[in-house]
Amino acid sequence: MKNLLIGAALLAASSIAFADAPGGPNCGWGNMLFEGQSGIGPHFLATTTNGTSGNATFGMTSGTNGCSVDGKLTYGGKKMVSALFDEFSADVAAGDGQALNAVAVAYGVPKEDRAAFASLAHRNFSVLFPSENVTADDVASKLETLMKSDAQFAKYVS
Amino acid sequence: MPGLVVSSAIHLASMPVLRSLVPILVAVWLLFPAPGRALDPVQAQADAKSLWQRAEWLKLLHYKPGLRPGHWHSQADDPAFFLAAGGADDPRAELDATLAALRVPADSGDAHAQCRFVARLTWLRSELDLGDLPQPDCAAYREFRSKVQARQAVLIFPSYYLNSPSSMFGHTLLRLDAGDDADGAEYLSFAVNFGAVVDARDNGLFYAFKGLTGGYPGQFEVDQYYKKIREYNRDENRDIWEYPLNLDADETERLIQHLWELRNIRFAYYFFDENCSYRILELLEVARPGLDLTSGFPLTAIPIDTVRAVQNAGLMRGKTFRPSQGTVLRQRLDALPDDLHEAVVTLAQHAEAIDSVAVQALPPATRARLIDAAYKYLRFRQTGPARDPAVAERSFRLLQALKAEAGALPTPAPQPDPASAPDASHGSRRLAVGGWHENDRDYLTLGLRLSLHSLEENRNGFPRGAQINLGNLDVRISDRGRPDIQRFDVIDILSLSPRDRFFKPLSWSVMTGVERQWTEGRERRVVHVNGGAGMTQALWGDARLYGLATGRLEYNTGFRDPVQPALGVRAGLLVGHGALTLNADLGAEQFANGDTRLRAALRQNLQLSRQQALHLELLWRDQQPREEFAIGLRYLHYY
Repeated sequence: MKNLLIGAALLAASSIAFADAPGGPNCGWGNMLFEGQSGIGPHFLATTTNGTSGNATFGMTSGTNGCSVDGKLTYGGKKMVSALFDEFSADVAAGDGQALNAVAVAYGVPKEDRAAFASLAHRNFSVLFPSENVTADDVASKLETLMKSDAQFAKYVS
Repeated sequence: MPGLVVSSAIHLASMPVLRSLVPILVAVWLLFPAPGRALDPVQAQADAKSLWQRAEWLKLLHYKPGLRPGHWHSQADDPAFFLAAGGADDPRAELDATLAALRVPADSGDAHAQCRFVARLTWLRSELDLGDLPQPDCAAYREFRSKVQARQAVLIFPSYYLNSPSSMFGHTLLRLDAGDDADGAEYLSFAVNFGAVVDARDNGLFYAFKGLTGGYPGQFEVDQYYKKIREYNRDENRDIWEYPLNLDADETERLIQHLWELRNIRFAYYFFDENCSYRILELLEVARPGLDLTSGFPLTAIPIDTVRAVQNAGLMRGKTFRPSQGTVLRQRLDALPDDLHEAVVTLAQHAEAIDSVAVQALPPATRARLIDAAYKYLRFRQTGPARDPAVAERSFRLLQALKAEAGALPTPAPQPDPASAPDASHGSRRLAVGGWHENDRDYLTLGLRLSLHSLEENRNGFPRGAQINLGNLDVRISDRGRPDIQRFDVIDILSLSPRDRFFKPLSWSVMTGVERQWTEGRERRVVHVNGGAGMTQALWGDARLYGLATGRLEYNTGFRDPVQPALGVRAGLLVGHGALTLNADLGAEQFANGDTRLRAALRQNLQLSRQQALHLELLWRDQQPREEFAIGLRYLHYY
């Protein structure tokens, strides 16, 4: 019985039945800055299992927050900004860092251009982050606008 | 039958026109000596090579020797993994069924054996001439490979985390890197993790019990590494050690192909032996045929021991350290002078203090460090609670200030000494041989401990103040040669993390087992469960002072009512200096029936080498009316 339940969860996780166009109600990266991680329960005596959630992915989730998959590279970059939002903001403020680099990699920026990418983001911190209530969507869009207007990075944003 | 053919052939051979046919007839007869099986040339090749007995096949199917020689049983606990009806116990039948299934017509798409069992296909192709195979459309596999590409595999060890039974021994997983540039690119790599699939409706001790006894199935999951970084570094505050492996392109390919075969396949999950680390070793054995990593773990697979096994097999290329959120904060704080620590807290609570004269008067590098530490401290405190707009506003203010001062931010702290990495610690298992003098008696003790580490043992590679003992048995042999149990600790865990203005962990202990206590005129073996909670204070260097309130439940035949609870206190000091580590521990307990006990122990550990130590213990016990004083010297050997 338990196996059936978990199996059903696995099937559901890989389906894109609720896929939406980007910007739609179930889709997007609307998480705000400093959202952190609410609801982490105490771990004491919680488990001896290093458990998977049961929604075991196999690298194959849609991964685009309920959006339809259309393979554009920008979704990779936007997804990373959203996934690492707090860390990304701290790295942009500091001028470098692993989360900032991960976003660069996700946008397809090659190694030799990453320092310039970091510098672009850092210089424009107040454009990207005008307040603490920005969403990842806002920031990614602004970042892409900045990239489009920079000859070096325009090619990574379609 | 053959005799008839031969005699007929000889008879026919006497007829000239048929003489030329005889060799052809004989050849035809030899080519088809038996019907059915050998009509299939592929099957014949496989039989001739005894492929089903080969290590590569046995490892791919996760067969382990059964109880009787020549018998096998696969640890894959899932009928979907096998193509033959009794495939779980029959490598030969499974091979035959696989060969057949690979060649059925290609109209089942992803469900075709060629699409599901890619590693088997690749290996069989290399060993046999499979001829022209049908070409099914393996869309799911292609999609998987388009995402999961790897040129390098990395063994990941999230370090010890005492606040969770599943995590206190550490954990291992694999990371698959597409490129070899690090510094953030690995966030997008895929992490391969074997864990139990838990039922979210179970809770607490039920989880624990089922995890220990195989009550949950285990399976592999593949997910992006940044999620693991977040889970371990941030949510659980654990440091991560990463050990790049030297698997070549073919080996990595084999690993990924086999991983695909294991998608959604259930294994039994046993916390101690067939666990996360054990299965990772199996993946590596498939990747590099001839590697034997798992035979060193028949009973238990403590994660750090599996890391050492991989190291000893020559698979590692190096090690890197990924600090937890807490460790990063600690590094930032250590880089600030102590008199500014109060300012860190103030700044985190009142971001407007950035503009104060005191802060602005600081040299730029110090001011930048101060703001950085305050920001990190504020965010560290927010790991867990829901988003609070006021805190978000303060965080943002600090972030803006950080941006303004970023030019003066010094380079990050250097990496810790690799010689202090967890894999450099003493071995998990311990043999102890010792002699004791107790009041008027002398005896020997022989001890064996399954895992892992006590407070006073050789310090390198373990978190300070962490004690995790599992399966510790000490046997005493009196001077008349009679053996008896000195102690048996099933579980003995002590977590002493110091409190300061930034970190406020609880110190705690849990212990259960059998020990010897004097009651009603003689020494008895008693069964006990006890626990405690309290605080630890860091003193100079690594030294710690701790105090716990304790509770105990004991089964003691010397009591009128054998099961008795007790309340007590425990305090101690832990100091390390060079090769010497010292633990002084005091305890007092009062039982519900009025009995009291006092205890004072001084344990000194002198490190002789990484895997050896000399242990001197002085123990005083007052269990009224009798006072006991014991002194023991033991030689400890880890392996």
